[in-house]
Amino acid sequence: MSPELIRLIIQATGDTLLMVAIAAGLGTLLGLPLGVFLATSKRGELFAAPAVNAILGTLVNATRSTPFIILVVAIIPFTRLIAGTSIGTTAATVPLTVAATPFIARLIEGAIREVDQGLVEAARSMGATPVQIVCKVLVPEALPAITLGLTLALVSLIGFSAMVGAVGGGGLGDLGIRYGYQRFMPEVMAAVVAVLIVLVQAVQSLGDRLARHLNKRLRHA
Amino acid sequence: MNAPLKPDAFRVAAEIAPLAEPVIRFERVGKVFAGRRGQKPVTALEGIDLDVPRGAIVGVIGRSGAGKSTLIRLVNGLERASSGRILIEGDDVTDLTEAGWRTRRRSTGMIFQHFNLLSSRTVFDNVALPLEIDGTPKSEIAARVEKLLDLVGLADKRERYPAELSGGQKQRVGIARALATDPKVLLCDEATSALDPETTQSILALLKQVNRELGVTILLITHEIPVIKEICDRVAVIEGGRIVEEGETFEVFTRPQHPTTARFVETVTGVELPAHLAGRLRETPLAGGSAVLRVTFSGANATAPVISRLGSTIGIDVNILAGRIDAIAGKPFGSLLVSVPSEEPGLGAVLGALKGLELKAEVIGHVA
Repeated sequence: MSPELIRLIIQATGDTLLMVAIAAGLGTLLGLPLGVFLATSKRGELFAAPAVNAILGTLVNATRSTPFIILVVAIIPFTRLIAGTSIGTTAATVPLTVAATPFIARLIEGAIREVDQGLVEAARSMGATPVQIVCKVLVPEALPAITLGLTLALVSLIGFSAMVGAVGGGGLGDLGIRYGYQRFMPEVMAAVVAVLIVLVQAVQSLGDRLARHLNKRLRHA
Repeated sequence: MNAPLKPDAFRVAAEIAPLAEPVIRFERVGKVFAGRRGQKPVTALEGIDLDVPRGAIVGVIGRSGAGKSTLIRLVNGLERASSGRILIEGDDVTDLTEAGWRTRRRSTGMIFQHFNLLSSRTVFDNVALPLEIDGTPKSEIAARVEKLLDLVGLADKRERYPAELSGGQKQRVGIARALATDPKVLLCDEATSALDPETTQSILALLKQVNRELGVTILLITHEIPVIKEICDRVAVIEGGRIVEEGETFEVFTRPQHPTTARFVETVTGVELPAHLAGRLRETPLAGGSAVLRVTFSGANATAPVISRLGSTIGIDVNILAGRIDAIAGKPFGSLLVSVPSEEPGLGAVLGALKGLELKAEVIGHVA
């Protein structure tokens, strides 16, 4: 493989990491509060707002049920509005974030719902406000599960990021399609696949280790 | 690890101050839960009248589903009453808003059957939680938590996580946490029901210590009669959402009025005739046979050497068949089954002598 190609692969890997990092970061920033709200706003819950819960739930489901490649195309006007263009690495982070947010929200909702209701009752018995219950009980107690969820989201985002290559986004997917497929350079395709495998493995094992470290439930006397 | 539970000296009624304003008062309190979709509303509590005197340990006993969990949650507003009034320190809290309740809850501690400790926090940080919620400065939190961990005997476990502790240790953390904000009232929701008997004893001893040394009023709910027997000054028996009997523990245990109460207390005060005798019991005296008596000792008389005295004063042999002497709320109480010759002067003399000693005695049958 020529140094030129190696440079391209490194460049593409950097682009992918950047897109995934931005989308995951923004997705978590938006998805965390959304997930917490979804987990605490049904009838009789901390921030009971069943109607809002139902609307947001539907919205989240709608976004999640749209295949990513369709979502990318469907929200091009929105992408242009935010990023000024619909082509390239920066533009690709917009649909990635839009896809990541509801995904992460559902993962966080699930993690929060797993927290023992007895802990919520204990916190209430101490006079905790709903916000204190979220910040001091629900999120810390759900953190190991949230970490695993975010790991899953990162792995999915790496996969999604390869797809934006098909519509002019940068990164490994774009490289694989243009060089590996269209110019028929199997060694580029192989390199792209290898880098993706390494990335996913690294993310998964880091996430697993972090979650294990955060989980204090598995310790024994 | 802990001093064994010693029966306290008599608690005089004045010490519990029945005339003083109760810390908690229920007045005709009812609670109805709205039925789930298409189902009828469920009445959990009905016409509850209950006073929790200052400084007392009051127990509410009942089977599961009797309404005791709902009852205790009315005291800190985790459940709201549907009817009646609840007074805490003389204030009517029945219609308090959630924000009003939050302030009140900070001066009421609560411990739970399953401890409800945060798995993500160390022992120290679990005890610190109510103080953080209350906005106590960090420097004060540390000093306060250290003191509480000393009190519950877990100073060496401060950096441990709950998963590393035994059940008894977890409940000690729960107690320390509940006491963090220096509450006047401690609510115990089946606090020992998940513990083995030995650990239960040590937790009860700690609760008693908290009550005596810190002057914390305790309201506890349980389905375990030994818990009531060990530490409660007063007991209320709840069944089907109603309090069927209430009073000083010793009185209720020794003179139960309601069949449910009788069934509960019989497990700690009752004495059964050995099976080989029970089958031969007759209603009428048999020539040359013996009468079987149940003698009940309570209070001061429980410790008097009654049986040996009968032998020496009236010269009649008393044969002990079965018996139990125990402390109920710190006062001795005993029940003996004895046999004496049916023929006069045996039975009559013994009954007369027991009456003279102000002991309750009843003939339950005769054997050959």
